[in-house]
Amino acid sequence: MTTTGWAFLIISWGMILGLTVFCLSRTLRKKP
Amino acid sequence: MAQGRKAPREAWGSRLGVILAVAGSAIGLGNFLRFPVQAAKNGGGAFMIPYFISFLLLGLPLMWVEWTIGRFGGGLERSTAPGIFETVWQKNRFIKYFGVIGIFGPTVIFIYYTYIESWLLGYAIFALTGKCATCTDQRSMAAFLSGYLGLAQNEHFSSITPAYLFFLITFAINAIVLWLGLRGGIERVCKLGLVVLFAFAVMILVRVLTLGTPDPAQPAWNVRDGFGFLWNPRWADLKQAKVWLAAAGQVFFTLSVGFGVILTYASYLRKQDDVALSGLTAATTNEVAEVILGGSIVIPAAFAFFGPHGTMEIAEGGAFNLGFVTMPLVLQKVAFGQFFAFAWFFLLFIAGVTSSISLALPAIAFLQDEFNLDRKTACILFAIVTFNLCQVVIFFNGQGVLDEMDFWGGTFCVVVFALVEVVLFAWVFGMDKAWGELHSGSDIRIPQVYRFIIKYITPLFLILILGSYFVQQGKPMLLLENTPREKVPFIIGTRVLLIDLFAALAFLVWLAWRKREAKEATT
Repeated sequence: MTTTGWAFLIISWGMILGLTVFCLSRTLRKKP
Repeated sequence: MAQGRKAPREAWGSRLGVILAVAGSAIGLGNFLRFPVQAAKNGGGAFMIPYFISFLLLGLPLMWVEWTIGRFGGGLERSTAPGIFETVWQKNRFIKYFGVIGIFGPTVIFIYYTYIESWLLGYAIFALTGKCATCTDQRSMAAFLSGYLGLAQNEHFSSITPAYLFFLITFAINAIVLWLGLRGGIERVCKLGLVVLFAFAVMILVRVLTLGTPDPAQPAWNVRDGFGFLWNPRWADLKQAKVWLAAAGQVFFTLSVGFGVILTYASYLRKQDDVALSGLTAATTNEVAEVILGGSIVIPAAFAFFGPHGTMEIAEGGAFNLGFVTMPLVLQKVAFGQFFAFAWFFLLFIAGVTSSISLALPAIAFLQDEFNLDRKTACILFAIVTFNLCQVVIFFNGQGVLDEMDFWGGTFCVVVFALVEVVLFAWVFGMDKAWGELHSGSDIRIPQVYRFIIKYITPLFLILILGSYFVQQGKPMLLLENTPREKVPFIIGTRVLLIDLFAALAFLVWLAWRKREAKEATT
Protein backbone atom coordinates (compact mmCIF):
# COMPACT_ATOMS: atom_id res chain seq x y z
CA MET A 1 0.00 0.00 0.00
CA THR A 2 1.55 3.28 -1.08
CA THR A 3 1.44 6.56 0.86
CA THR A 4 -1.04 7.96 -1.67
CA GLY A 5 -3.19 4.87 -1.20
CA TRP A 6 -3.22 5.42 2.55
CA ALA A 7 -4.04 9.10 1.97
CA PHE A 8 -7.04 8.18 -0.20
CA LEU A 9 -8.26 5.67 2.35
CA ILE A 10 -7.89 7.98 5.33
CA ILE A 11 -9.46 11.01 3.61
CA SER A 12 -12.39 8.95 2.26
CA TRP A 13 -13.08 7.21 5.55
CA GLY A 14 -12.62 10.46 7.46
CA MET A 15 -15.07 12.38 5.28
CA ILE A 16 -17.72 9.67 5.42
CA LEU A 17 -17.39 8.98 9.13
CA GLY A 18 -17.25 12.70 9.97
CA LEU A 19 -20.37 13.47 7.96
CA THR A 20 -22.23 10.45 9.35
CA VAL A 21 -21.42 11.32 12.96
CA PHE A 22 -22.45 14.95 12.33
CA CYS A 23 -25.74 13.86 10.75
CA LEU A 24 -26.59 11.25 13.36
CA SER A 25 -25.80 13.57 16.27
CA ARG A 26 -28.01 16.29 14.76
CA THR A 27 -30.73 13.76 13.98
CA LEU A 28 -30.78 12.29 17.47
CA ARG A 29 -30.71 15.67 19.15
CA LYS A 30 -34.13 16.48 20.54
CA LYS A 31 -35.82 19.52 19.04
CA PRO A 32 -36.65 22.23 21.63
CA MET B 1 -63.17 -1.41 2.34
CA ALA B 2 -66.16 0.72 1.50
CA GLN B 3 -65.59 3.99 -0.28
CA GLY B 4 -65.63 7.01 1.98
CA ARG B 5 -64.51 4.98 4.99
CA LYS B 6 -60.85 5.20 4.24
CA ALA B 7 -58.55 3.99 7.04
CA PRO B 8 -56.21 6.62 8.55
CA ARG B 9 -52.89 6.81 6.72
CA GLU B 10 -50.01 4.87 8.20
CA ALA B 11 -47.12 6.85 9.69
CA TRP B 12 -43.57 6.20 10.82
CA GLY B 13 -43.01 5.53 14.51
CA SER B 14 -39.86 7.61 14.80
CA ARG B 15 -37.51 9.80 12.82
CA LEU B 16 -34.67 7.31 13.18
CA GLY B 17 -37.03 4.61 11.95
CA VAL B 18 -37.63 6.25 8.58
CA ILE B 19 -33.93 7.08 8.17
CA LEU B 20 -32.96 3.46 8.85
CA ALA B 21 -35.70 2.22 6.51
CA VAL B 22 -34.34 4.40 3.69
CA ALA B 23 -30.76 3.38 4.54
CA GLY B 24 -31.89 -0.26 4.67
CA SER B 25 -33.44 0.11 1.25
CA ALA B 26 -30.18 1.56 -0.09
CA ILE B 27 -27.83 -0.90 1.61
CA GLY B 28 -27.91 -4.04 -0.45
CA LEU B 29 -25.68 -6.54 -2.21
CA GLY B 30 -24.21 -3.71 -4.28
CA ASN B 31 -22.56 -2.15 -1.21
CA PHE B 32 -20.60 -5.27 -0.34
CA LEU B 33 -20.05 -6.80 -3.79
CA ARG B 34 -20.52 -4.30 -6.61
CA PHE B 35 -18.66 -1.33 -5.09
CA PRO B 36 -15.31 -3.09 -4.41
CA VAL B 37 -15.37 -4.67 -7.87
CA GLN B 38 -16.06 -1.31 -9.55
CA ALA B 39 -13.36 0.45 -7.52
CA ALA B 40 -10.74 -2.24 -8.15
CA LYS B 41 -11.47 -2.28 -11.89
CA ASN B 42 -11.68 1.49 -12.37
CA GLY B 43 -8.65 3.25 -10.99
CA GLY B 44 -8.40 1.98 -7.41
CA GLY B 45 -8.13 4.95 -5.03
CA ALA B 46 -8.50 7.33 -7.97
CA PHE B 47 -12.04 5.92 -8.43
CA MET B 48 -13.00 7.77 -5.26
CA ILE B 49 -12.57 11.15 -7.00
CA PRO B 50 -15.37 10.66 -9.57
CA TYR B 51 -17.26 8.68 -6.92
CA PHE B 52 -17.41 11.57 -4.44
CA ILE B 53 -18.07 14.12 -7.20
CA SER B 54 -21.02 11.97 -8.35
CA PHE B 55 -22.20 11.63 -4.77
CA LEU B 56 -22.30 15.43 -4.41
CA LEU B 57 -23.73 16.25 -7.85
CA LEU B 58 -26.05 13.31 -8.43
CA GLY B 59 -26.68 11.19 -5.35
CA LEU B 60 -27.42 13.84 -2.74
CA PRO B 61 -29.56 16.07 -5.00
CA LEU B 62 -31.71 13.12 -6.04
CA MET B 63 -32.01 12.00 -2.44
CA TRP B 64 -33.32 15.43 -1.44
CA VAL B 65 -35.64 15.60 -4.47
CA GLU B 66 -37.25 12.24 -3.61
CA TRP B 67 -37.63 12.97 0.09
CA THR B 68 -39.14 16.40 -0.67
CA ILE B 69 -41.68 15.49 -3.33
CA GLY B 70 -42.53 12.30 -1.44
CA ARG B 71 -43.44 14.26 1.68
CA PHE B 72 -45.26 16.86 -0.45
CA GLY B 73 -47.38 14.16 -2.16
CA GLY B 74 -47.99 12.41 1.14
CA GLY B 75 -49.46 15.62 2.52
CA LEU B 76 -52.13 15.28 -0.19
CA GLU B 77 -52.60 11.59 0.68
CA ARG B 78 -50.70 10.29 -2.38
CA SER B 79 -47.96 7.74 -1.68
CA THR B 80 -46.85 6.62 -5.10
CA ALA B 81 -45.40 8.22 -8.19
CA PRO B 82 -48.57 8.53 -10.36
CA GLY B 83 -50.38 10.49 -7.65
CA ILE B 84 -47.33 12.38 -6.41
CA PHE B 85 -46.34 13.46 -9.93
CA GLU B 86 -49.86 14.75 -10.45
CA THR B 87 -49.73 16.80 -7.27
CA VAL B 88 -46.52 18.39 -8.55
CA TRP B 89 -47.82 19.02 -12.12
CA GLN B 90 -51.56 19.34 -11.72
CA LYS B 91 -52.24 20.71 -15.18
CA ASN B 92 -50.71 17.76 -17.02
CA ARG B 93 -53.04 14.82 -17.64
CA PHE B 94 -50.29 12.46 -18.80
CA ILE B 95 -47.69 12.87 -16.09
CA LYS B 96 -49.38 10.16 -14.01
CA TYR B 97 -48.43 7.62 -16.69
CA PHE B 98 -44.74 8.54 -16.26
CA GLY B 99 -45.37 7.78 -12.59
CA VAL B 100 -46.22 4.18 -13.56
CA ILE B 101 -42.44 3.67 -13.90
CA GLY B 102 -42.20 4.27 -10.14
CA ILE B 103 -44.37 1.20 -9.49
CA PHE B 104 -43.30 -0.94 -12.44
CA GLY B 105 -39.53 -0.61 -11.80
CA PRO B 106 -39.48 -1.66 -8.13
CA THR B 107 -42.00 -4.46 -8.79
CA VAL B 108 -39.83 -5.91 -11.57
CA ILE B 109 -36.73 -5.70 -9.38
CA PHE B 110 -38.66 -7.34 -6.50
CA ILE B 111 -39.48 -10.29 -8.78
CA TYR B 112 -35.85 -11.29 -9.39
CA TYR B 113 -34.28 -9.78 -6.28
CA THR B 114 -36.33 -12.00 -3.94
CA TYR B 115 -34.94 -15.06 -5.70
CA ILE B 116 -31.32 -13.84 -5.42
CA GLU B 117 -32.01 -13.01 -1.77
CA SER B 118 -33.12 -16.62 -1.20
CA TRP B 119 -29.72 -17.88 -2.46
CA LEU B 120 -28.13 -15.92 0.39
CA LEU B 121 -30.37 -17.56 2.96
CA GLY B 122 -29.57 -20.95 1.43
CA TYR B 123 -25.83 -20.28 1.49
CA ALA B 124 -26.03 -19.03 5.11
CA ILE B 125 -27.58 -22.36 6.11
CA PHE B 126 -25.11 -24.36 3.96
CA ALA B 127 -22.27 -22.50 5.69
CA LEU B 128 -23.55 -23.59 9.10
CA THR B 129 -24.13 -27.21 8.05
CA GLY B 130 -20.84 -27.41 6.13
CA LYS B 131 -22.57 -28.52 2.91
CA CYS B 132 -20.13 -26.68 0.66
CA ALA B 133 -17.06 -27.67 2.70
CA THR B 134 -16.06 -30.22 0.05
CA CYS B 135 -15.61 -27.43 -2.53
CA THR B 136 -12.00 -26.36 -2.22
CA ASP B 137 -11.42 -24.44 -5.46
CA GLN B 138 -13.16 -21.92 -7.70
CA ARG B 139 -14.29 -24.59 -10.19
CA SER B 140 -16.01 -26.82 -7.63
CA MET B 141 -17.58 -23.82 -5.85
CA ALA B 142 -18.93 -22.58 -9.21
CA ALA B 143 -20.31 -26.11 -9.84
CA PHE B 144 -21.97 -25.98 -6.40
CA LEU B 145 -23.73 -22.74 -7.37
CA SER B 146 -24.82 -24.17 -10.76
CA GLY B 147 -26.18 -27.28 -9.06
CA TYR B 148 -28.04 -25.20 -6.45
CA LEU B 149 -29.68 -23.05 -9.13
CA GLY B 150 -30.76 -26.12 -11.09
CA LEU B 151 -28.51 -25.24 -14.03
CA ALA B 152 -26.68 -28.58 -13.72
CA GLN B 153 -27.13 -31.89 -11.94
CA ASN B 154 -24.00 -32.81 -10.03
CA GLU B 155 -22.68 -34.38 -6.84
CA HIS B 156 -23.96 -31.39 -4.83
CA PHE B 157 -27.56 -31.10 -6.03
CA SER B 158 -29.81 -33.31 -8.13
CA SER B 159 -32.70 -30.82 -8.47
CA ILE B 160 -33.78 -27.25 -7.88
CA THR B 161 -35.89 -28.29 -4.84
CA PRO B 162 -33.56 -26.84 -2.13
CA ALA B 163 -33.34 -23.51 -3.99
CA TYR B 164 -37.13 -23.46 -4.36
CA LEU B 165 -37.61 -24.20 -0.67
CA PHE B 166 -35.36 -21.29 0.33
CA PHE B 167 -37.21 -19.09 -2.15
CA LEU B 168 -40.55 -19.98 -0.48
CA ILE B 169 -39.14 -19.13 2.96
CA THR B 170 -37.68 -15.82 1.70
CA PHE B 171 -40.88 -14.86 -0.09
CA ALA B 172 -42.90 -15.67 3.04
CA ILE B 173 -40.58 -13.52 5.21
CA ASN B 174 -41.05 -10.58 2.85
CA ALA B 175 -44.83 -11.07 2.75
CA ILE B 176 -45.09 -11.27 6.55
CA VAL B 177 -43.05 -8.08 7.07
CA LEU B 178 -45.21 -6.23 4.55
CA TRP B 179 -48.39 -7.67 6.09
CA LEU B 180 -47.32 -6.24 9.47
CA GLY B 181 -47.27 -2.77 7.94
CA LEU B 182 -45.08 0.30 7.96
CA ARG B 183 -44.43 0.67 11.67
CA GLY B 184 -44.93 -2.88 12.92
CA GLY B 185 -43.17 -4.57 10.01
CA ILE B 186 -40.85 -2.45 7.84
CA GLU B 187 -39.64 -0.01 10.50
CA ARG B 188 -39.07 -2.71 13.12
CA VAL B 189 -37.23 -5.03 10.71
CA CYS B 190 -35.01 -2.22 9.39
CA LYS B 191 -34.09 -1.02 12.88
CA LEU B 192 -33.17 -4.51 14.09
CA GLY B 193 -31.80 -5.67 10.73
CA LEU B 194 -29.34 -2.81 10.31
CA VAL B 195 -27.96 -3.31 13.82
CA VAL B 196 -27.35 -7.03 13.09
CA LEU B 197 -25.98 -6.20 9.63
CA PHE B 198 -23.46 -3.66 10.93
CA ALA B 199 -22.48 -5.95 13.84
CA PHE B 200 -21.80 -8.89 11.49
CA ALA B 201 -19.98 -6.68 8.98
CA VAL B 202 -17.70 -5.22 11.68
CA MET B 203 -16.98 -8.72 12.98
CA ILE B 204 -15.98 -9.94 9.51
CA LEU B 205 -13.98 -6.75 8.94
CA VAL B 206 -11.99 -7.36 12.13
CA ARG B 207 -11.36 -10.96 11.01
CA VAL B 208 -10.14 -9.75 7.60
CA LEU B 209 -7.89 -7.09 9.18
CA THR B 210 -6.26 -9.76 11.34
CA LEU B 211 -5.58 -12.16 8.44
CA GLY B 212 -2.04 -10.82 8.06
CA THR B 213 -0.08 -12.96 5.57
CA PRO B 214 -1.96 -16.27 5.46
CA ASP B 215 0.56 -18.02 3.17
CA PRO B 216 4.15 -17.48 4.37
CA ALA B 217 5.37 -18.75 0.98
CA GLN B 218 3.71 -15.67 -0.60
CA PRO B 219 4.77 -12.75 1.64
CA ALA B 220 3.38 -10.17 -0.81
CA TRP B 221 -0.10 -11.68 -0.49
CA ASN B 222 -1.20 -9.88 2.65
CA VAL B 223 -4.13 -7.81 3.84
CA ARG B 224 -2.22 -4.51 3.79
CA ASP B 225 -1.39 -4.92 0.13
CA GLY B 226 -4.97 -6.10 -0.38
CA PHE B 227 -6.06 -2.63 0.74
CA GLY B 228 -3.39 -1.25 -1.57
CA PHE B 229 -4.95 -3.21 -4.46
CA LEU B 230 -8.19 -1.31 -3.85
CA TRP B 231 -6.87 2.08 -2.72
CA ASN B 232 -3.58 2.76 -4.57
CA PRO B 233 -4.62 5.31 -7.21
CA ARG B 234 -4.07 4.61 -10.89
CA TRP B 235 -4.21 8.19 -12.16
CA ALA B 236 -4.14 7.27 -15.85
CA ASP B 237 -7.54 5.55 -15.47
CA LEU B 238 -9.17 8.91 -14.71
CA LYS B 239 -8.65 9.90 -18.35
CA GLN B 240 -11.14 7.22 -19.39
CA ALA B 241 -14.80 8.25 -19.61
CA LYS B 242 -15.90 4.75 -18.57
CA VAL B 243 -14.32 5.22 -15.14
CA TRP B 244 -16.35 8.38 -14.51
CA LEU B 245 -19.51 6.70 -15.76
CA ALA B 246 -18.85 3.64 -13.60
CA ALA B 247 -18.49 5.89 -10.54
CA ALA B 248 -21.66 7.84 -11.39
CA GLY B 249 -23.56 4.59 -11.97
CA GLN B 250 -22.34 3.13 -8.69
CA VAL B 251 -23.40 6.20 -6.67
CA PHE B 252 -26.72 6.32 -8.45
CA PHE B 253 -27.64 2.67 -7.86
CA THR B 254 -26.28 2.40 -4.34
CA LEU B 255 -28.50 5.14 -2.95
CA SER B 256 -31.77 3.59 -4.19
CA VAL B 257 -32.68 6.87 -5.88
CA GLY B 258 -34.82 6.68 -9.00
CA PHE B 259 -36.70 3.58 -7.89
CA GLY B 260 -39.77 5.34 -6.50
CA VAL B 261 -39.11 3.70 -3.15
CA ILE B 262 -37.86 6.76 -1.21
CA LEU B 263 -40.77 8.69 -2.67
CA THR B 264 -43.19 6.26 -1.04
CA TYR B 265 -41.28 6.07 2.25
CA ALA B 266 -41.16 9.88 2.50
CA SER B 267 -44.89 10.17 1.75
CA TYR B 268 -45.59 8.78 5.23
CA LEU B 269 -43.79 11.71 6.88
CA ARG B 270 -45.71 14.55 8.46
CA LYS B 271 -45.70 18.02 6.91
CA GLN B 272 -43.39 19.48 9.58
CA ASP B 273 -40.90 16.60 9.51
CA ASP B 274 -37.36 17.35 8.35
CA VAL B 275 -36.26 15.92 5.00
CA ALA B 276 -32.94 17.69 4.36
CA LEU B 277 -31.00 16.24 7.29
CA SER B 278 -32.84 12.90 7.16
CA GLY B 279 -31.95 12.43 3.49
CA LEU B 280 -28.33 13.30 4.16
CA THR B 281 -28.17 10.94 7.15
CA ALA B 282 -29.63 8.02 5.16
CA ALA B 283 -27.13 8.68 2.35
CA THR B 284 -24.08 8.84 4.63
CA THR B 285 -25.16 5.70 6.54
CA ASN B 286 -25.24 3.92 3.18
CA GLU B 287 -21.73 5.23 2.41
CA VAL B 288 -20.38 3.80 5.69
CA ALA B 289 -21.71 0.39 4.67
CA GLU B 290 -20.34 0.76 1.14
CA VAL B 291 -16.94 2.46 1.32
CA ILE B 292 -15.81 1.53 4.82
CA LEU B 293 -17.29 -1.94 5.27
CA GLY B 294 -17.90 -3.07 1.67
CA GLY B 295 -14.52 -1.77 0.56
CA SER B 296 -12.63 -3.54 3.34
CA ILE B 297 -13.92 -7.08 3.22
CA VAL B 298 -13.98 -8.96 -0.08
CA ILE B 299 -11.07 -7.47 -2.04
CA PRO B 300 -8.47 -7.41 0.79
CA ALA B 301 -9.53 -10.94 1.83
CA ALA B 302 -9.41 -12.29 -1.73
CA PHE B 303 -6.00 -10.63 -2.26
CA ALA B 304 -4.53 -12.27 0.85
CA PHE B 305 -5.46 -15.74 -0.45
CA PHE B 306 -5.31 -15.41 -4.25
CA GLY B 307 -2.74 -12.62 -4.84
CA PRO B 308 -2.95 -9.70 -7.29
CA HIS B 309 -3.53 -11.67 -10.51
CA GLY B 310 -6.06 -14.01 -8.93
CA THR B 311 -7.96 -11.09 -7.39
CA MET B 312 -8.06 -9.18 -10.68
CA GLU B 313 -9.44 -12.31 -12.40
CA ILE B 314 -12.04 -12.67 -9.64
CA ALA B 315 -13.02 -8.98 -9.92
CA GLU B 316 -13.32 -9.35 -13.72
CA GLY B 317 -15.63 -12.32 -13.06
CA GLY B 318 -18.13 -9.90 -11.48
CA ALA B 319 -19.84 -9.30 -8.18
CA PHE B 320 -21.74 -12.62 -8.03
CA ASN B 321 -18.58 -14.60 -8.57
CA LEU B 322 -16.96 -12.66 -5.74
CA GLY B 323 -19.86 -13.21 -3.35
CA PHE B 324 -20.93 -16.77 -4.05
CA VAL B 325 -17.71 -18.41 -5.21
CA THR B 326 -14.69 -16.54 -3.85
CA MET B 327 -15.86 -15.49 -0.39
CA PRO B 328 -16.97 -19.00 0.72
CA LEU B 329 -13.54 -20.28 -0.35
CA VAL B 330 -11.73 -17.50 1.52
CA LEU B 331 -13.78 -18.00 4.67
CA GLN B 332 -13.17 -21.77 4.57
CA LYS B 333 -9.51 -21.02 5.10
CA VAL B 334 -9.83 -18.96 8.27
CA ALA B 335 -10.37 -20.13 11.86
CA PHE B 336 -14.10 -20.39 12.71
CA GLY B 337 -14.68 -20.15 8.95
CA GLN B 338 -18.10 -21.81 9.15
CA PHE B 339 -19.37 -19.12 11.49
CA PHE B 340 -17.83 -16.27 9.46
CA ALA B 341 -19.27 -17.70 6.24
CA PHE B 342 -22.70 -17.83 7.92
CA ALA B 343 -22.26 -14.23 9.14
CA TRP B 344 -21.25 -13.11 5.62
CA PHE B 345 -24.25 -14.63 3.86
CA PHE B 346 -26.66 -13.73 6.64
CA LEU B 347 -25.62 -10.08 6.59
CA LEU B 348 -26.13 -10.04 2.83
CA PHE B 349 -29.52 -11.71 3.33
CA ILE B 350 -30.55 -8.99 5.81
CA ALA B 351 -29.32 -6.33 3.36
CA GLY B 352 -31.49 -8.06 0.75
CA VAL B 353 -34.62 -8.20 2.92
CA THR B 354 -34.45 -4.53 3.93
CA SER B 355 -34.17 -3.67 0.22
CA SER B 356 -36.84 -6.04 -1.14
CA ILE B 357 -39.54 -4.96 1.34
CA SER B 358 -38.97 -1.39 0.19
CA LEU B 359 -39.32 -2.48 -3.44
CA ALA B 360 -42.71 -4.04 -2.74
CA LEU B 361 -44.14 -1.01 -0.97
CA PRO B 362 -44.90 1.28 -3.95
CA ALA B 363 -47.24 -1.30 -5.55
CA ILE B 364 -48.95 -2.05 -2.23
CA ALA B 365 -49.30 1.64 -1.37
CA PHE B 366 -50.74 2.27 -4.85
CA LEU B 367 -53.48 -0.32 -4.28
CA GLN B 368 -54.21 1.15 -0.85
CA ASP B 369 -54.28 4.78 -2.00
CA GLU B 370 -56.01 4.54 -5.34
CA PHE B 371 -58.39 1.62 -4.79
CA ASN B 372 -59.10 2.13 -1.07
CA LEU B 373 -57.95 -1.40 -0.26
CA ASP B 374 -56.80 -2.19 3.26
CA ARG B 375 -53.13 -3.11 3.67
CA LYS B 376 -53.68 -6.82 4.09
CA THR B 377 -55.79 -7.16 0.95
CA ALA B 378 -53.24 -5.11 -0.99
CA CYS B 379 -50.45 -7.36 0.34
CA ILE B 380 -52.30 -10.52 -0.70
CA LEU B 381 -52.92 -9.20 -4.22
CA PHE B 382 -49.29 -8.11 -4.59
CA ALA B 383 -48.04 -11.46 -3.27
CA ILE B 384 -50.22 -13.48 -5.66
CA VAL B 385 -49.09 -11.53 -8.73
CA THR B 386 -45.38 -11.37 -7.89
CA PHE B 387 -45.21 -14.99 -6.69
CA ASN B 388 -46.43 -16.12 -10.09
CA LEU B 389 -44.02 -13.84 -11.91
CA CYS B 390 -41.11 -15.09 -9.75
CA GLN B 391 -41.67 -18.58 -11.22
CA VAL B 392 -40.49 -17.27 -14.60
CA VAL B 393 -37.20 -16.13 -13.08
CA ILE B 394 -36.71 -19.36 -11.14
CA PHE B 395 -37.51 -21.88 -13.85
CA PHE B 396 -35.98 -19.98 -16.79
CA ASN B 397 -32.86 -18.95 -14.90
CA GLY B 398 -29.81 -19.16 -17.13
CA GLN B 399 -31.83 -18.16 -20.20
CA GLY B 400 -31.21 -14.42 -19.81
CA VAL B 401 -34.57 -13.68 -18.12
CA LEU B 402 -33.00 -12.26 -14.96
CA ASP B 403 -30.53 -10.06 -16.86
CA GLU B 404 -33.32 -8.76 -19.09
CA MET B 405 -35.47 -7.82 -16.08
CA ASP B 406 -32.45 -6.25 -14.39
CA PHE B 407 -31.74 -4.10 -17.44
CA TRP B 408 -35.28 -2.76 -17.86
CA GLY B 409 -36.39 -2.65 -14.21
CA GLY B 410 -33.09 -2.04 -12.46
CA THR B 411 -31.21 0.16 -14.92
CA PHE B 412 -33.22 1.80 -17.70
CA CYS B 413 -36.38 2.64 -15.73
CA VAL B 414 -34.38 3.91 -12.76
CA VAL B 415 -32.43 6.49 -14.78
CA VAL B 416 -35.52 7.61 -16.74
CA PHE B 417 -37.56 7.92 -13.54
CA ALA B 418 -34.85 9.94 -11.80
CA LEU B 419 -34.66 12.29 -14.78
CA VAL B 420 -38.44 12.80 -14.78
CA GLU B 421 -38.57 13.55 -11.06
CA VAL B 422 -35.64 15.98 -11.03
CA VAL B 423 -37.13 17.87 -14.01
CA LEU B 424 -40.52 17.96 -12.28
CA PHE B 425 -38.91 19.21 -9.09
CA ALA B 426 -36.68 21.92 -10.52
CA TRP B 427 -38.46 23.00 -13.69
CA VAL B 428 -42.18 22.29 -13.19
CA PHE B 429 -42.61 22.71 -9.44
CA GLY B 430 -40.16 25.58 -9.77
CA MET B 431 -36.86 25.98 -7.97
CA ASP B 432 -38.10 28.68 -5.57
CA LYS B 433 -41.10 26.66 -4.43
CA ALA B 434 -39.07 23.43 -4.40
CA TRP B 435 -36.31 25.01 -2.31
CA GLY B 436 -38.88 26.28 0.18
CA GLU B 437 -40.52 22.85 0.36
CA LEU B 438 -37.14 21.17 0.89
CA HIS B 439 -36.36 23.49 3.80
CA SER B 440 -39.80 23.32 5.40
CA GLY B 441 -39.22 21.88 8.90
CA SER B 442 -35.55 21.38 8.01
CA ASP B 443 -32.83 20.97 10.65
CA ILE B 444 -30.03 22.09 8.30
CA ARG B 445 -29.58 24.68 5.58
CA ILE B 446 -28.44 23.21 2.30
CA PRO B 447 -25.80 25.35 0.51
CA GLN B 448 -27.34 27.67 -2.10
CA VAL B 449 -25.10 26.20 -4.81
CA TYR B 450 -27.42 23.17 -4.78
CA ARG B 451 -30.15 25.28 -6.39
CA PHE B 452 -27.93 25.47 -9.47
CA ILE B 453 -26.80 21.85 -9.18
CA ILE B 454 -30.34 20.43 -8.91
CA LYS B 455 -31.63 22.60 -11.76
CA TYR B 456 -28.83 22.11 -14.29
CA ILE B 457 -26.07 19.70 -13.30
CA THR B 458 -28.09 16.73 -12.03
CA PRO B 459 -30.40 16.52 -15.09
CA LEU B 460 -27.39 16.84 -17.43
CA PHE B 461 -25.54 14.14 -15.49
CA LEU B 462 -28.57 11.85 -15.82
CA ILE B 463 -28.89 12.49 -19.56
CA LEU B 464 -25.21 11.62 -19.89
CA ILE B 465 -25.66 8.37 -17.96
CA LEU B 466 -28.77 7.47 -19.94
CA GLY B 467 -26.99 8.15 -23.24
CA SER B 468 -23.92 6.14 -22.30
CA TYR B 469 -25.98 3.22 -21.01
CA PHE B 470 -27.95 3.24 -24.22
CA VAL B 471 -24.81 3.11 -26.34
CA GLN B 472 -22.92 0.63 -24.14
CA GLN B 473 -25.71 -1.68 -23.01
CA GLY B 474 -29.10 -0.54 -24.29
CA LYS B 475 -28.56 -0.73 -28.04
CA PRO B 476 -26.79 -4.12 -28.06
CA MET B 477 -29.35 -5.47 -25.57
CA LEU B 478 -32.36 -4.06 -27.44
CA LEU B 479 -31.17 -5.52 -30.73
CA LEU B 480 -30.09 -8.79 -29.04
CA GLU B 481 -26.63 -8.32 -30.58
CA ASN B 482 -24.66 -10.49 -28.13
CA THR B 483 -27.46 -12.90 -27.28
CA PRO B 484 -27.02 -16.61 -28.07
CA ARG B 485 -29.75 -17.80 -30.45
CA GLU B 486 -31.20 -20.33 -28.02
CA LYS B 487 -31.91 -17.56 -25.49
CA VAL B 488 -33.73 -15.25 -27.93
CA PRO B 489 -37.26 -16.75 -27.44
CA PHE B 490 -36.91 -16.45 -23.64
CA ILE B 491 -35.78 -12.85 -23.86
CA ILE B 492 -38.57 -11.90 -26.24
CA GLY B 493 -41.01 -13.69 -23.91
CA THR B 494 -39.65 -11.66 -20.98
CA ARG B 495 -40.12 -8.43 -22.91
CA VAL B 496 -43.72 -9.34 -23.71
CA LEU B 497 -44.27 -10.09 -20.02
CA LEU B 498 -42.76 -6.75 -18.97
CA ILE B 499 -44.82 -4.84 -21.54
CA ASP B 500 -47.95 -6.62 -20.27
CA LEU B 501 -47.09 -5.71 -16.68
CA PHE B 502 -46.48 -2.07 -17.59
CA ALA B 503 -49.73 -1.95 -19.59
CA ALA B 504 -51.66 -3.52 -16.70
CA LEU B 505 -50.30 -0.93 -14.27
CA ALA B 506 -51.05 1.91 -16.69
CA PHE B 507 -54.61 0.54 -17.03
CA LEU B 508 -54.96 0.47 -13.23
CA VAL B 509 -53.84 4.10 -13.09
CA TRP B 510 -56.40 5.02 -15.77
CA LEU B 511 -59.12 3.09 -13.89
CA ALA B 512 -58.26 4.64 -10.53
CA TRP B 513 -58.33 8.15 -11.96
CA ARG B 514 -61.63 7.51 -13.71
CA LYS B 515 -63.14 6.33 -10.42
CA ARG B 516 -61.67 9.32 -8.60
CA GLU B 517 -63.06 11.77 -11.16
CA ALA B 518 -66.49 10.12 -11.05
CA LYS B 519 -66.47 10.34 -7.26
CA GLU B 520 -65.43 14.00 -7.33
CA ALA B 521 -68.19 14.74 -9.86
CA THR B 522 -70.86 13.24 -7.61
CA THR B 523 -69.65 15.03 -4.48
